[in-house]
Amino acid sequence: MTAEAVILICASLVGFYMAANIGANDLANAMGTSVGSRAITIRQAVIISIIANALGAVLAGAHVTNTISKGIIDPSLFKEADRFIAGMFASLLSAGIWVNISTYLGLPVSTTHSIVGAVIGFGIMSIGIGNINWGKVIPIVLSWIISPVSGAIISGCIYHFIEKKILFSDDPYSSAKSYSPILIFLVFVVLILSVIFKGLKNLNLNLTLPKALLISTPISAVIGIFGRHYIEWQINRISSFDERGYTPVERLFAQLQLLTACYVAFAHGANDVANAVGPWAAIFSAVKTKSISVKVHVPFWMLLIGGIAVGGGLMAFGENVIRTIGENITEINPVRGFCAEFGAATTILICSRLGLPISTTHVLVGSVIGIGIARGMGTLDLRVLKNIIASWIITLPFTIVLSMILYRILLYLI
Amino acid sequence: MRLLISSLFFKSPFENVKLHADKIKQCTMLFKNAIHAHMKGNFDEFERITDQVARFESEADAIKRNIRNHLPKGILMPVDKFQLFQYIKEQDRVMDEIEESLFWLSYRHEKIPEELRDDFTQLIDLVIKPVNRLPELVSQTITYFRTRSNEDRNKVKSIIRDIRQWEREADLVERELKLKIFSTVKNAISVFYLIRLTELIGSIADHAENASDMMRAMIAR
Repeated sequence: MTAEAVILICASLVGFYMAANIGANDLANAMGTSVGSRAITIRQAVIISIIANALGAVLAGAHVTNTISKGIIDPSLFKEADRFIAGMFASLLSAGIWVNISTYLGLPVSTTHSIVGAVIGFGIMSIGIGNINWGKVIPIVLSWIISPVSGAIISGCIYHFIEKKILFSDDPYSSAKSYSPILIFLVFVVLILSVIFKGLKNLNLNLTLPKALLISTPISAVIGIFGRHYIEWQINRISSFDERGYTPVERLFAQLQLLTACYVAFAHGANDVANAVGPWAAIFSAVKTKSISVKVHVPFWMLLIGGIAVGGGLMAFGENVIRTIGENITEINPVRGFCAEFGAATTILICSRLGLPISTTHVLVGSVIGIGIARGMGTLDLRVLKNIIASWIITLPFTIVLSMILYRILLYLI
Repeated sequence: MRLLISSLFFKSPFENVKLHADKIKQCTMLFKNAIHAHMKGNFDEFERITDQVARFESEADAIKRNIRNHLPKGILMPVDKFQLFQYIKEQDRVMDEIEESLFWLSYRHEKIPEELRDDFTQLIDLVIKPVNRLPELVSQTITYFRTRSNEDRNKVKSIIRDIRQWEREADLVERELKLKIFSTVKNAISVFYLIRLTELIGSIADHAENASDMMRAMIAR
């Protein structure tokens, strides 16, 4: 076996490791609200995750990625490809280890922030602390505030609207039925807009917002009208709803939650799979071309495998975790779960459209709390926020130091 | 391994409030039996049941303390924490008054006069009714907080109305009974003994009503 082949195999293994950890931490959290409300089973969560996540990665993922995450360091400063490859290795591995540890401890870290921290770490060791673009760290710090706050505001408003218009009405089930086309319509508008903005970039279709709205509105309207009848048919058909002790309104929202669960997995595939696949693709490109380019084309098959690996990670590590969620969270019901997921999805779309940095998990946490503040979420333990803030802050120093150490060791080995 | 999303959720204190209400309901039958035993002059049986009630009271007290001690700062609930504490305090007072009435009876082994027994039985029946609805009140409120529907909220309100109605009836019976005690019993010690007993029994319903009023405040929109 040639040295090249060994490097590529190792890179693939480390890439898989990172992808699986992303699935076990990020995606398990994202699916937790759906499983917690019993709108979907654990098996369905795993299947939805694998399919929707892979679709998200392929259709809307970044097909062209910066070799060095978010332009934190300038690749042209690297003279030798070897050092660059070793650095990328160290980054993937240390980000993977950090996400693994935090999954074990139950901490909600951002996978994006982990990989950024790891890149900074090896950057310090290789090109020096002065050559790092520290300005790029500001968006990360901003994201700590923007993600949960915007998630909380948007989800809280959605819950408030649903409470006023549906739950408090004299006949909640009929109100839910009459509002369901609008809700389905909105979910699809958000879904189609994010595919257009993120996905069709790959087809070089740069649509403006009015044009994108012009496409998504009629499609969503048609789906909304037919979707209502489909949902009614499903509600009458599925007998397991009775076992779950749902009220009629909850049955309807359980159907809507199936949609939002798919969307959350899709959005996750689009945004976060790149964290594992990007560095992996960068190593492949550097090994093959023996040079370092600023931008690397990520092949279709890599995105597909990355998406599946993330879903597989959920199956391998996350299944037990979401099982305990299903048993522990009795406070979530489909109405609350729908609001949290739809709110999170909308927040992710709006913020990424505005160019604001956000993290899927952090947005979802904000959404749950936002609904709690609107008095719609049973009993919440806000003391957990301390752990959350701690884990956000620790992510950067931990991955920086770990990646520095691993980089040193790798250089020694080469 | 655990997940953040699950650690965000805290065990609802209402489950324990329901347990507390259940404990009280278990005592109402005992309370009635104890007073009947006393009326028949069966004081051994009376003491036995009173001990049983006292045991239930201390168990209920432990549940109450558990609720209070396990709601640290930073817990976000659909209701105000102090409203919940007020509620549980009033619900606990119901239990205290049941126990206190039995204790009061036990201080003097004097049978309740024949001509007042029916009135006491009537008062006890009226006082027990609202107390027996408390577990239902709590579980219906739990349902309302889950569904947030008007229908479930109206069910809570109707239980509260029933409780208020019975309390009012118990008040009337209490007043008539007091009048009757003053007109029929001539011994001053007996009058004091019976009047105080009547007041203690009447206050059981008062506290059940206070508890339900707090519940009404918690479900206010």
